[in-house]
Amino acid sequence: MKLACVVHRFGADIAGGSEGHCRLIAEHLAAQHDVTIVTTCARDHITWKNHYPPGESRIGLVPPKRGEREGGLRVLRFPVARERDLHRFMDLSDLVAADRATSYEQEEWFRENGPDAPELLEHLRRHGAGYDRVLFWAYRYADVYFGLPLVADRAILVPTAEEDPLIHVDALAPFFAQPKGFLFLTPEEETLVSSRGAAGKPSAVIGCGLDTAAAADLSRLDSLHLADPFVLYLGRIDPNKGCAALIRHFQRYAENGRDVQLVMAGPASMPIPEHPLIRPLGFVDDDVREALLTRARALIMPSPFESLSMVLLEAWNHGLPALVNARCKVLRGQVERADGGLYYGNTVEFIAALDYLLDHAETARQLGRQGLAYVDREYRWPIVIEKIEALLRAV
Amino acid sequence: MTEARVRVDAVMGEIERDVRARLRQHLVKKGGAADYQDEEIFDAVHALLARAIDERNLDALLLPELVDGDVDWRLQTHLHLTTHRRGLAGRCILFVKKTLLLPMTRWLFEYSQDNFRRQDHLNRVLFACIEELALENTRLRRTIETAASASVGKPAR
Repeated sequence: MKLACVVHRFGADIAGGSEGHCRLIAEHLAAQHDVTIVTTCARDHITWKNHYPPGESRIGLVPPKRGEREGGLRVLRFPVARERDLHRFMDLSDLVAADRATSYEQEEWFRENGPDAPELLEHLRRHGAGYDRVLFWAYRYADVYFGLPLVADRAILVPTAEEDPLIHVDALAPFFAQPKGFLFLTPEEETLVSSRGAAGKPSAVIGCGLDTAAAADLSRLDSLHLADPFVLYLGRIDPNKGCAALIRHFQRYAENGRDVQLVMAGPASMPIPEHPLIRPLGFVDDDVREALLTRARALIMPSPFESLSMVLLEAWNHGLPALVNARCKVLRGQVERADGGLYYGNTVEFIAALDYLLDHAETARQLGRQGLAYVDREYRWPIVIEKIEALLRAV
Repeated sequence: MTEARVRVDAVMGEIERDVRARLRQHLVKKGGAADYQDEEIFDAVHALLARAIDERNLDALLLPELVDGDVDWRLQTHLHLTTHRRGLAGRCILFVKKTLLLPMTRWLFEYSQDNFRRQDHLNRVLFACIEELALENTRLRRTIETAASASVGKPAR
């Protein structure tokens, strides 16, 4: 099949979130299909400033197909016409969060969220019929919200929806009724989106595929002089990811005199308080990441909104138990399905659950092993790709 | 896997029981409600409030709809600049507000906005708690009335 994968930004140096998910899925689909990535020239998802040159390029390690000279994924980039007005966006976001946005303001929210790439929309309008299926990632971005209706008869949406106020806006009910099929990341996301107008469409819950974790080189941690034991937060350090609450919970935990370190690995977009037991590492490379996941006693996931936690799956891939925010239905659901960790809803529960994991080392290890077994059951690439192929055939 | 499976719900049940016990002891020690000396009462109150906070959709509550009369009680966390003047004068005033005054005062607006958002969330949580209590009260009233009407027809012993 000739497939297009539409995503708001794409690049070898863009790893996380829906962009990373799109890239992994596209690379694996490229083994069987003719895949084109349709995206913008932006690298920065806050400003949408143009960074990459427009036009066609090749990215990634996909081997060349028969008759082709170049390997890699075919990428079509279109320029962003207007950078995001952050103040306007914040004001509209407040209206949406307060459930007071008019239908015009709801549509404005999507426009202002961006990226505003009219040439990308024009490409879909003119050439969309040339693709057998067009897969769209992340409903909240303008390229998807305005682009999907242009090729609705062949569109498959990967909504990456979270239980935030946006999902309840009225404008989404007619939007979610348009795609021919859906690829969901978790059963919780499927329930959420189905309740907003997607019920009855062909769909599959795929999550994301993982390869078996390679043995980590623990010597990469020597120069970091981390305490033993430590618990790990991995990802962007941001209040929206629950990090302010995590730091608050952990500071209360540390007041009890327990000698365990919180290691926070990832780029920070918020101040991290100076604390003898909190250790920010900033961005870490893949080898350090693997070593941290191997050596940590538990992964902590404080995010209140998630459509799928890839970091959680990675932790289980290393047999690491998790402690997650129970207020996020997706995280709690993942932990309960896997029997792979514990959850907390407030500071007192955080303290009790972390104590439990540290005091019951064998039970904690068993939770980690059960997490790994869950990844083996649900998230290995052949299993994930087979589900996608079945949906591509069914739509 | 040869080891016995660890059930998360069982472990969490144990942890949550322990947390409730510690919380109850803490409140009793600090002079909280005397009724909390009764574990059953504490657990029932805890469950009711937890239900209001965790299980209710804070955007779908009855009380805010009823309060929404002549006075707008809702915190406005978004910025909306207006003027009562019409025509060119109005447009000039709005231009000055947006291009000169707003950039100068934006830091103050954004500084206070987080606190307003927090207060807004707390208001909605309190609405949810009140609504949960009203529901509980209504259910109890119905149970009592049903029991009372059933007992009317029974012969006295």
